[in-house]
Amino acid sequence: MTQRGHTLDDAWYLGYAAGSLASEAETVLVQSHVELNSDAQDRVEQLDRIGGVLLDRMPVGEALPFSADELLEMADRSDPLQAGESVSDEAANVPDALDGVNLPPALAQYLARSPARLKWEFLGPGLRKSILWRGKDGERLWLLKAQPGVAIPHHGHAGSELTLVLKGSFWDGDQEYRRGDVEEAHEDVEHDIRIGTGGECVCLALTQGKLRFESPLLTAFQVFTGL
Amino acid sequence: MTDLTDRPAPTVDSQRLSDLLVQVGQARDRAAFRTLFDHFAPRIRAFLIQRRVIPAMADDLTQDVMLAIWRRASSFDPSRAAASTWIYTIARNQHIDQYRKAQRASRMDETDPSLQPAPAPAADDLCEQAEAADSVGVALEDLSADQRQVVELAFTEGLTHSEIADRLELPLGTVKSRIRLALGKLKTTLGEMV
Ligand SMILES: [Zn+2]
Ligand SMILES: [Zn+2]
Repeated sequence: MTQRGHTLDDAWYLGYAAGSLASEAETVLVQSHVELNSDAQDRVEQLDRIGGVLLDRMPVGEALPFSADELLEMADRSDPLQAGESVSDEAANVPDALDGVNLPPALAQYLARSPARLKWEFLGPGLRKSILWRGKDGERLWLLKAQPGVAIPHHGHAGSELTLVLKGSFWDGDQEYRRGDVEEAHEDVEHDIRIGTGGECVCLALTQGKLRFESPLLTAFQVFTGL
Repeated sequence: MTDLTDRPAPTVDSQRLSDLLVQVGQARDRAAFRTLFDHFAPRIRAFLIQRRVIPAMADDLTQDVMLAIWRRASSFDPSRAAASTWIYTIARNQHIDQYRKAQRASRMDETDPSLQPAPAPAADDLCEQAEAADSVGVALEDLSADQRQVVELAFTEGLTHSEIADRLELPLGTVKSRIRLALGKLKTTLGEMV
């Protein structure tokens, strides 16, 4: 059963299945969620079937500049070891900073491709952040690490924010978000987040604008922490 | 839209394609691969061209996808997916991969007229071109023209949801709700068919 609010808007699954998301960061977040969440997997599988039918219906135009036999000769010549996927090697290489987090393959591969070393920075009491990527329109793909029971004060968003739980859990009101769940917070949404008491919580987030805190003190906190 | 019974019979039906892919996976059957190649390679290339991939790169990518099919066929499970679905996901993933590499190297000049894609066939034309009136095709045709259009623009032209909104001159919220309605309907129809 799909619980309201724990999966993404359908537009994201369509974008992922069609290979038409706007950035690599979006693909990494959505794919990581799909890898961890069976409702999301079902959604994408249905859409992949649509993709298959549309591929099958493509009008066939020009002849190809190579034949099946040329391709098979090429396959015979290439080293079978090189031909294998390098994916598993990449996935095995989890950064020390994420020790103890069971990473979805899409995120593990993304981190293996990114040359920058992952390190945690102070975000607030019991909160650490690590920025993975900044887009040209102010988007950020980042990791949040929070100690059990920590509260993230009441805030709004200048843009949308997708938060995928990788480890532990958090509460927003009476909704609990666990590993594989994603919260999609829009511009007009204000909320308080409380980290679950069961243990450390690690999330992957994609944020479009800055967070907006209500109190002037927290606004100062925001300037300080760069969120 | 034409009646489904007016359609030409499929040249290679989906059961046959699935069997061929299993033969490639289990027995490295070259003849089976040739038949799959004849069916899918030109379609993969045409799909990529429609997605604004330049022809030379579309040739290379098609080659990569067909090689991946040859190498990974043993992981195809006919009880889980149709051959076209499995092959589509390989093509999609390779395309994302390539796009990522290309984005890192340099950005393609989108204004170059030689890179502009041919206009996408209208939703109704796609129905005419259907060669197999299989269940997913029927589910797709069950959508309203508005709903089908948003789904097809994402797949066939690779437009993001905000690009779809720009193209159709609609608010983003309207596009998103059309996507939700379309996918809700597909879920119901496809769910009934499983
Ligand atoms: Zn308030
Ligand atoms: Zn928030």
